[in-house]
Amino acid sequence: MSDAPSDLPEAAQRRFSQGAFSSGLSVSDFGACLEMGLEPVGLVQGFCAMRWGAVSMNAMGGGFGGGLGSALGGALTPFAGAPGGYVQNYQCPHGMISADHRAWGQNYQQTWIEDTWRTGFNSAYSRMMQEAQALGAHGVVGVVDSENPLSDTGVVEFHLRGTAVRVIDGPPPGETPWSTFLAGQRLAKSFEAGYAPVSIVTSVASVRVWAYCQTEYLMEGTSGMWSNAVGAAEIMQVVDAQSKVRDLARARVRSSLHGDALHGAHLEVSTREFGKGDVEFQSRLSGNRVRRFKDFDPLALPRPTVRLS
Amino acid sequence: MSAPSSSPRPSLKDEVRQALSAPSAPAGTTRAMTSDLSIDEELNLHSIGWEPVELVSGVSLHSIPYGYWNWGQGEIVGASSAHATAFANATARMLREAGTAGGHGVVGVHIERAIHPTHVEISLVGTAVRPVDSTRRLERSVFASDLSARDFTMLMIAGWEPLGLASGASFVFAPRRSMSSTIQQQSQNIELTNFTEAMYSAREAAMQRMQEVAIEMNGTGVVDVKVQEGPMSFASHAVGFVALGTVVRLATPTHQLIHPTMVVSLNDSSPAFDAQTLS
Repeated sequence: MSDAPSDLPEAAQRRFSQGAFSSGLSVSDFGACLEMGLEPVGLVQGFCAMRWGAVSMNAMGGGFGGGLGSALGGALTPFAGAPGGYVQNYQCPHGMISADHRAWGQNYQQTWIEDTWRTGFNSAYSRMMQEAQALGAHGVVGVVDSENPLSDTGVVEFHLRGTAVRVIDGPPPGETPWSTFLAGQRLAKSFEAGYAPVSIVTSVASVRVWAYCQTEYLMEGTSGMWSNAVGAAEIMQVVDAQSKVRDLARARVRSSLHGDALHGAHLEVSTREFGKGDVEFQSRLSGNRVRRFKDFDPLALPRPTVRLS
Repeated sequence: MSAPSSSPRPSLKDEVRQALSAPSAPAGTTRAMTSDLSIDEELNLHSIGWEPVELVSGVSLHSIPYGYWNWGQGEIVGASSAHATAFANATARMLREAGTAGGHGVVGVHIERAIHPTHVEISLVGTAVRPVDSTRRLERSVFASDLSARDFTMLMIAGWEPLGLASGASFVFAPRRSMSSTIQQQSQNIELTNFTEAMYSAREAAMQRMQEVAIEMNGTGVVDVKVQEGPMSFASHAVGFVALGTVVRLATPTHQLIHPTMVVSLNDSSPAFDAQTLS
């Protein structure tokens, strides 16, 4: 499916041309939308199924011939990192001890995972927005997004849905409808606070950790002869990875704001362990990109109340 | 605190039309900002003349050498100090980010803690905030608080200010009973004083540490203290106690009374339709 609105399925075009609207809004959100002068015109959705294929590190510009996981043994040279991606190396202070000894460690950004995720999410998003455009909507409110595995073969389905709305007695819709995770009262408060919705924003960052000997000793609590110098200490390689995976997601979101603000941000970090000393951290940051349309106008101090029941 | 404008506010419909027909922000109001506050929380902040600046985070993992949890007496010092160091380092990183972004403090800090047998992991995420009016910006260190923006607003209205996060943690061995005691007590319903005493010991140490942090910050007290206590899932004879809260002090000569208004909701308490009432 391309980005052209004419690529909408024929059945969808037929449905849109019929009279009744559909909406994912609750009754109270529906009422609040009408209060704001927004009328729902249809429940719009976008799907995209993506497959995460096996990745050759050489194809990503890497310097070693192995691949991921246990093949990253001591004697191989560290991965050079994906082009433009974060990479940080950690050198063992002990020298070459044995083939089992983790002579070096590395944190690296998995840009290929981020790119695949972005392609899937953006395709589903643009398909949802195509439907909104086809309905002549000014924007899409109450966006809900989900990612679900379709099978055991690494296929993930991206699904976005929301309610397309039109401004009652408003100007003709612009080229690109706006979108927001908010609906109902919270959207109304956002307008009252002086913020107009621009779009939903989401980004993902992925950092893989291949532990070197010091990290391994600290994570496992071992106190063998090579860890004598370690003792109890902060596990800096993992701290670096955890900090970086958050930074990367925030930096990408910030770069897409173009001077606007991000409200209601939600940052979540997940961890997957593939094997001993081989861990992946993935962060996801999403929120509402909003633009101030009037100058700061402070509200009156809130009046505290005690409810008698 | 900025005074609200006295001119009548336009209707909501007019505001929405104005917003959606304004392609760009008014001059001087555009500033990239990220925040995990809800719109309600941001409105609360605005009402006292504060604004969000940046979403900030701090992480730390600290190791606990192998074998600390299984045998010993008294406090498991390695675990307690690992928790304290990890918490202090994660907080310092978050505050550094907030300071770099121009924030005066961080509110609504979400605290995630995980105690593993061989390491402690602390993760903090919050929103850096500052007064809108640059002349009101303070010349003091950046504070962190796990109070929501709403609670922060109420605290400020009452004349108090947050100074930082205080944490105290203690992990203590519950000594094993002797073989004869174990056999004698097998069929009795009695208190296991070894566990009770271990809990008391952990509690006192943790609360003391949290209080010491508050005193170091020149605080008057700690509000919204959260307590987590109990046995460690991976060590049958160890118990832990962790206390966390926000250090506060009076920012005005006296406490400002809030004088809340009493309200009675007119909502029906049982709005569900009941067919029996028709008979």
